[in-house]
Amino acid sequence: MKLGLGPLALKGMTGAELASLGSHAVAASFDAIWVAESRAEGVGAGLAAAAMLGQLVPIRVGAAIDAGLYHPLHMAEDIAIADLSTQGRIEVLLRLSSPAASRYGASAERGWFEEHLTVLALALSGAHVQWNGEHLRVPAQIDANQPAPTRLALNPTPAQPAVPIWVESSAGWMEDLARTLGFGVAAPWRPAGKVPPATGRWPGMALCPGDALAEDLLHAAGDGPGYFLVTARTSQEVAAAGRRLAGPLRMPEFPSWINE
Amino acid sequence: MTLRLGLGVFGMQSVPQRPDHHVKLYRDVLDDAERAEALGFDSIWLSEHHFWFDGYCPADLVVAGAILGRTKRIGVGTAVMLLPMHSVDKVADDAATLSRMGDGRLSLGVALGYRDAEFDGFGVRRKDRGKLMDVMLPRLAESCQAADPPVPVYVGVATAIAAQRAARLGLPLFADSTMNVAELREMLGAYNAAAAAAGVKAPATHALQRDVFVTDDRERDWAMLLPELRYMRRQYGGWSFPQEPGEAVPAYLNRLEADIEAKLKNLIIGDAGHVAASLREFEALGFGLIVCRSQFGNLPRESLHRAFEGLGRVREMVAR
Repeated sequence: MKLGLGPLALKGMTGAELASLGSHAVAASFDAIWVAESRAEGVGAGLAAAAMLGQLVPIRVGAAIDAGLYHPLHMAEDIAIADLSTQGRIEVLLRLSSPAASRYGASAERGWFEEHLTVLALALSGAHVQWNGEHLRVPAQIDANQPAPTRLALNPTPAQPAVPIWVESSAGWMEDLARTLGFGVAAPWRPAGKVPPATGRWPGMALCPGDALAEDLLHAAGDGPGYFLVTARTSQEVAAAGRRLAGPLRMPEFPSWINE
Repeated sequence: MTLRLGLGVFGMQSVPQRPDHHVKLYRDVLDDAERAEALGFDSIWLSEHHFWFDGYCPADLVVAGAILGRTKRIGVGTAVMLLPMHSVDKVADDAATLSRMGDGRLSLGVALGYRDAEFDGFGVRRKDRGKLMDVMLPRLAESCQAADPPVPVYVGVATAIAAQRAARLGLPLFADSTMNVAELREMLGAYNAAAAAAGVKAPATHALQRDVFVTDDRERDWAMLLPELRYMRRQYGGWSFPQEPGEAVPAYLNRLEADIEAKLKNLIIGDAGHVAASLREFEALGFGLIVCRSQFGNLPRESLHRAFEGLGRVREMVAR
């Protein structure tokens, strides 16, 4: 089991507040701390903020980001540089539905996301990319651009052999797409619900409320692994969530009197 | 007004002469940012290119975020972001968020870009870059002005046309390192005329990028620098002036060579006193921020740090 703090909304957050929450997350034994952009509200830089956070904490850092709004090669580049800047500690959660789509000139259709995420996965894999789809052509091979390559590659590539990426799923096709591309699946917490099944090397992720109980999370994981992100907002909430969850999630039969 | 010195521009390239892994190169630039802050520099600047074999940094705002996390006071800027290849909404949202999180230490330098392969990767016609800039720049400037704290926007220029575009918006210039004094003077004249014609108040000063290397042993360091400078200039030259269809390789290399030789002449190299005097000449033209490029590709760390420290002495001289 893994335990992450967040995703913490970047809206209105200062660097000092982020640093403070980061130090509390480390002290409370979280495995990772996550931030969330919200481009519908004009709040971007999720990956840059994670790169910033990576300088402030020694644990892994995650970014929940809005996918499909801009070119997937830019997203792949941002992920690679965030990973290199944090010495290989970046994790990513892709959110496929954003009310910012019209402002960005993007589509919110399934086929659009399928192409964007496929190109993203191809680029991050280190493959020499050539993609010819309905919405994207990479390289574009525009006649006026000369010379232009027939293939291109992301360079530099991330520090990690594979950056852990999850797709927040609210429909079956999103889960299928994540599975096909080798990404993990994340889902909002549902009382008495189950963690999404692991895909490949990534455990299913559940986005949990700050007052989640260890026994409920363990029940949700069942016999499989789970990655639980918990949305604590204050230093007290972070400390309490870490104390309540870190031990029981890491070891079966964690003695309850330890936390009494 | 005090002349401000920035340090740059960093591209984190794994060059053939010194092919370090990028994990190390990004650790190095964060260390260099701390060093620059300790030496009192105004700011540190990051460069951007895409899909190149040496891994030239393609995402400078992400590195800016990391530097803002690592440092406390120093400014961080892009020199320059190739705006027509990006979503202007993404850049504006990213910049506003980073400005808040970095206590207003972020600046954006933006320019057109020029390498066809990069435009093609993102599905943009290179020939459309000017028209795209005409649309994107006012939007970006407006968003950055509305950000809290506001994000200063500089416009990277190497031509009078680009300077006139910036002038119509009253945005300060970020002049290219390859321009000599006469070219800079001419460009500033075009800028001021365009600003006056548009009824726009010109900013008090502009920014300039310059290749600078401070050394107490010019002969030793020139020998060390020459292959690195030639690599850098051949790379930029190859992007700016690609081989024409039917052009023989020897003729093409001669053409590139002439460009390299001309641009090497703009390097300011010498002891701190000489460099300070040279930078004063640019200040007199109207450049209040000079971003001194001392990292050419991936120099040996010891040599680079010696040059940073020398430039730190220059900073103290020009601040008096």
